[in-house]
Amino acid sequence: MKNESRNAEEMIPLTPAVLHILLALADGERHGYGIMQEVTRRAGGHVKMGPGTLYGSIKRMLADGLIEETGERPDPALDDERRRYYRLTSFGLRVMQAEVLRLHQIVLLARSKQVIGGSEAIGGLS
Amino acid sequence: MSASSTNHDRSFSCRLYGLLLRCYPAQFRRMYAREMARTFRDSYREAMQWQGRSGVLRLWGVVLYDLGVSLFIEYRSAFKALLHPIEERQSKNYMSVTNIVFAQRTDIGLQRKLNEDSVISIQPEDQKVMESKGILFVVADGMGGHSRGEVASQLAVTIIRDVYYQQESDDLEASLQLALEQANTRLYNENMAMSPKPEPDQMMATTCVAAVVQGDTVYVANVGDSRAYIVRDRQPHQISLDHSVVAQQLRDGLITKEQAKDHPDRNKIYRCLGEKDVVEVDTFSAKVQAGDLLLLCTDGLSELVPEEEVVTIVQQYEPQESVQRLIERANEMGGKDNITAVVARVA
Repeated sequence: MKNESRNAEEMIPLTPAVLHILLALADGERHGYGIMQEVTRRAGGHVKMGPGTLYGSIKRMLADGLIEETGERPDPALDDERRRYYRLTSFGLRVMQAEVLRLHQIVLLARSKQVIGGSEAIGGLS
Repeated sequence: MSASSTNHDRSFSCRLYGLLLRCYPAQFRRMYAREMARTFRDSYREAMQWQGRSGVLRLWGVVLYDLGVSLFIEYRSAFKALLHPIEERQSKNYMSVTNIVFAQRTDIGLQRKLNEDSVISIQPEDQKVMESKGILFVVADGMGGHSRGEVASQLAVTIIRDVYYQQESDDLEASLQLALEQANTRLYNENMAMSPKPEPDQMMATTCVAAVVQGDTVYVANVGDSRAYIVRDRQPHQISLDHSVVAQQLRDGLITKEQAKDHPDRNKIYRCLGEKDVVEVDTFSAKVQAGDLLLLCTDGLSELVPEEEVVTIVQQYEPQESVQRLIERANEMGGKDNITAVVARVA
């Protein structure tokens, strides 16, 4: 379902799980397990997401129009079982951008108060 | 550790997780239990491969914690929906400005190597465009050798979207017709530009059914045998016209409905986008009212799932769950073709 007339700002702040799922889908569609692998890999093992949190978040993100299903097919890298694939909607992309910007502002604030050091702390966001 | 004891552990863990999944609320379980079990199995395999039994223990730690947290969240949300069904819907923004809730889904089915169906649902972001042009749904079932069916249906849905919303005319039915005609021209030109020229049965082509809901009217345009229905008061009304040889014979009174069902040529269509330089597009319009359900689908659904069953499903569930169930049902009936469905409920 698409709800593109809505304002992305109304959706933030996001839960960590939702933000991680959006980020995992930022560079293309993935199935549920693919999302889990990507989240674990990118977060350097600091984030562990179980199937319940993953699919509970997916359910709400579909209802909110942040992501959409692109069908079911096997992943040749795994086996021949068919898996549901998900991708970002344009609304999901806007919500993710709004959330990342919000976090960026917090990092800038922290830096101005010398809570953290130089640019290394905000990595790719600057 | 022997391979058989590893397999035994894995199947025990998967069975146990399968049992734990029964703790979730029924609706959530229906929608995601299969995927969750599969995800668990994948996680188990990875943990075992890289970290052995200690990895599996860690996985169970994460999974049990996750189970506790997510059970709480899912039951809380199920109770909220039960107590405040209407508020819940509004807070989730299920109701859009035109009071339409919709969902789409496409699936490869069980017997094809490729999914050559394409589907698109567009609710314009711009309020003015939304009011003047409405919401567009397009379903296309591609065909042609060398994977070109996939390209054909995808091209068709995107061209139709672009052409339709670029038209400034108030005549929405004519705009939709023009959009299908232009998709035909583009596909035909692509076929003609190929060297060597493809044989007729290798040309890329596609069926197409497009519907626009604007105000209290639905406009439908179609070429081929993909269908549009309105379900009202539990009765299905097919709006589109099948351009299939068998449907034509049925209309001409040459065969009976029973004969049509098992006719060997029932998949043959005599009109599609991309095959000829000019195509005749059939268009229709109808008034819609609150409670109506609009269904667009490819023959992967309409050939396999009887209309009565389709009606029962779309009446009973929200569009998002309906499309999933329709596809599951078509797969249970053999899934011999790609399956695509769009369901829109007029609130």
